[in-house]
Amino acid sequence: MNILVCISSVPDTTAKITFKDDNTTFNKDGVTHIIGPYDDYALARAIELKEELGGTVTVLNVGTAETEPQIRKALAIGADEAIRVDAEPTDSFFVAEQIAAVAKENSYDLIMMGRETTDYNSGVVHGIVGQLLGMPSLSPVMELNIDGNTAKISREIEGGKEKLEATLPLILGCQEPIAEWKIASMRGIMTARKKPLNVRPAVGEGLTSVSSYSLPPEKGDCKMIPAEEAEKLIDLLQNEAKVL
Amino acid sequence: MTLFSRKHIDFLLHEVSDLPELLKEEYFSGHDRETADMVLDTAFEIAQKEIEPHFVDSDQKEANYENGEVKVHPGVHGFVKSQAESGLLSATFPEEVGGSQLPESVAGAAAFIELCHSNSFPMYTDLLSGCVKLINSFGTTEQKETYISKMLTANWMGTMCLTEPQAGSSLAEINTKATPQNDGTYKIDGQKIFISAGDHDITENIIHLVLARIDGAPAGAKGISLFIVPKNNPKNCSESNDVKTIGLFHKMGQKATPAVHLAFGAEGKCTGYLLGKPNQGLPQMFKMMNSSRLGVGLTGLALSSAAYYTSNQYAHERKQGRIPGGNENVLIAEHPDVKRMLLKQKAIHEGGLALFIQVYSYLDWQKAGKEIEKYAALTELLTPVCKFYGSDQGYHSVNEGLQVLGGYGYTSDFPLEQMARDVRILSIYEGTNGIQAQAVLGRQVQVNGGAPFQLLRAEIEKTLSHLNDSCLFKRDFETSFKKLQQVTSTLLSKQNPTELLADATLYTEFLSLICVGWQWLKMSLATEQMDTEFNESFKQTIGYFFRYEFTKCLYLSEILLKENKITV
Repeated sequence: MNILVCISSVPDTTAKITFKDDNTTFNKDGVTHIIGPYDDYALARAIELKEELGGTVTVLNVGTAETEPQIRKALAIGADEAIRVDAEPTDSFFVAEQIAAVAKENSYDLIMMGRETTDYNSGVVHGIVGQLLGMPSLSPVMELNIDGNTAKISREIEGGKEKLEATLPLILGCQEPIAEWKIASMRGIMTARKKPLNVRPAVGEGLTSVSSYSLPPEKGDCKMIPAEEAEKLIDLLQNEAKVL
Repeated sequence: MTLFSRKHIDFLLHEVSDLPELLKEEYFSGHDRETADMVLDTAFEIAQKEIEPHFVDSDQKEANYENGEVKVHPGVHGFVKSQAESGLLSATFPEEVGGSQLPESVAGAAAFIELCHSNSFPMYTDLLSGCVKLINSFGTTEQKETYISKMLTANWMGTMCLTEPQAGSSLAEINTKATPQNDGTYKIDGQKIFISAGDHDITENIIHLVLARIDGAPAGAKGISLFIVPKNNPKNCSESNDVKTIGLFHKMGQKATPAVHLAFGAEGKCTGYLLGKPNQGLPQMFKMMNSSRLGVGLTGLALSSAAYYTSNQYAHERKQGRIPGGNENVLIAEHPDVKRMLLKQKAIHEGGLALFIQVYSYLDWQKAGKEIEKYAALTELLTPVCKFYGSDQGYHSVNEGLQVLGGYGYTSDFPLEQMARDVRILSIYEGTNGIQAQAVLGRQVQVNGGAPFQLLRAEIEKTLSHLNDSCLFKRDFETSFKKLQQVTSTLLSKQNPTELLADATLYTEFLSLICVGWQWLKMSLATEQMDTEFNESFKQTIGYFFRYEFTKCLYLSEILLKENKITV
């Protein structure tokens, strides 16, 4: 079972987001980056499958050298090798194009990633990769088991869950509770230094550029109304918030 | 909620401390900055996953003692398992016993992160690690083979058993007996109290390190030996070794860690194994005690950090009172008195942590085989100072945090109430702060003709030599530092030991302010690489420290230089 896990490097979910250069650039100063939380689920399940069925797990990241700490961490958690496509991940299509280019040169049974990143949340990369490779792409996958050449999958759909089976190879966008996040052990951390991390140039060019960013409007003050004063709440909703 | 500043920890490790140089040493060649960063990530992930969710629940459901058995909160089981599986438990041990030779500076920072999320859980593994250190240092080959791998994988846990009902701070008065047997083992008979994590249902065996007196041994401290006393037979854990819990103490805080009363040999069937040489128990045990003392001080700083981030958030959400001349209520964080309280908390753990990492680096240099005697002397001198400062100031910080929350802080709806109960023990156990102060002034400052103190002076002067004379705080520091040297010689000239030690606590407070002040100056030399936000905050905190805290040196020196006719 050879698995490619695509990981993104995203700001820590508690990071304070600011912009610079006339709001055209995300200000990375003082911001800690982490592996995308949904990608982390995909990585954890991929490592479990490798332990269960044998094979290798390769992690792929599209990013500059700044993302190497997150790649090393994926290696410390249990991936065998890593590939970094040396480029800014400018848009979903560009990232998908890089993944597809790597996948075409290798033979992976599964290409796994998070259902979406937590920075831009487009949630379309797995679909585009599927289109580029001519493979089925399923998301958001909550449960995954492999039986021979068949993947048994449970995924979230509007109002419930769907169970389905599909033949490998597949592309999967994953989310909890597919596996529990894994914690890097001392042994993993130390061996990660010796695992291969290959850097390769990007194919193609980004199709988009950012004109400007803006933050959502700040939340208004929160007014606490005692439970026994429901009439006051209705009055505020009607006359102040004007939502009733 | 964030309970610590990773940026400050990274700053201390990578910009201020000796870690970059230490990582060039052969002993630490398995590590680099990236591994150090990942270890801290792992500690945070364990804290988030295995500690934080149980912080309140493990306080409300304290360990339970029924039918002679102690059951602890289920969260502790998960934490111990994670700590062992991740390898953090064995991280600082040599590779030959299954460790990773991680620098103590990094391990200390990782421990700080975990302790910010609960000070009770890591106590189990700290005690376990301390036991293994002793067995590894003084044990026979057979003892090492029997215990170390089982303990470093947390299949067996460990404790230290010192206090007896009649002998608390006066360990020389312990009377647990060890009677030699024909097979080279000893029969142990006695009782020990306040044994933290002394019994639980986490592992199949608990290895107690027990201070006892061999029949016919000299009286006092010179006749105390150290024994390995397993709860169950190490060759067959289903067979009891006659170690029984006869009571559980109901404490005001740290409720996830039981403190038990143990009876050894109530049925005359308790076997102990001598660890190290006869009558060397106390100096051997101090090897573990010193590491535990650092752990206790660090816990105080971690509680300070957790309290600060909690009260800081509250102060930025709660609107009360107007600024003079203003028309509307403002966030309480805008009131100068609240700002002062928040800065006090921040200054305590940020400055204190720098001092701890300094001491951890002294331990690391010893492991690297560099100037071992020098760094050992500095460690010995600063360990009681660290225990004293961390626990004492941690208490004050949590108290300020609770004050920021006002009436809400006094309720169990907010974590400050629990923190205030948890922090109180720190200045009491592992040697009260009074005992630490006596160790500083009665021994460490005087030993070898005052050599450790001179080494510290040289370290401080090295930092001062790098500071530009325009540094705002350099002159204030130099004035108080000279006063400390004057106070030290005045006190050491006293012939009457009671007079010398009467105000040892004030002396240690003075010395600790000098040491932390030194660290603030050292930090000020390393801020260039940091971003604007960090530097703004740093300027405010160092300014607070030298205006409000460091100036206490003046009144302390005044008291210490006057003849004491009140308590002597």
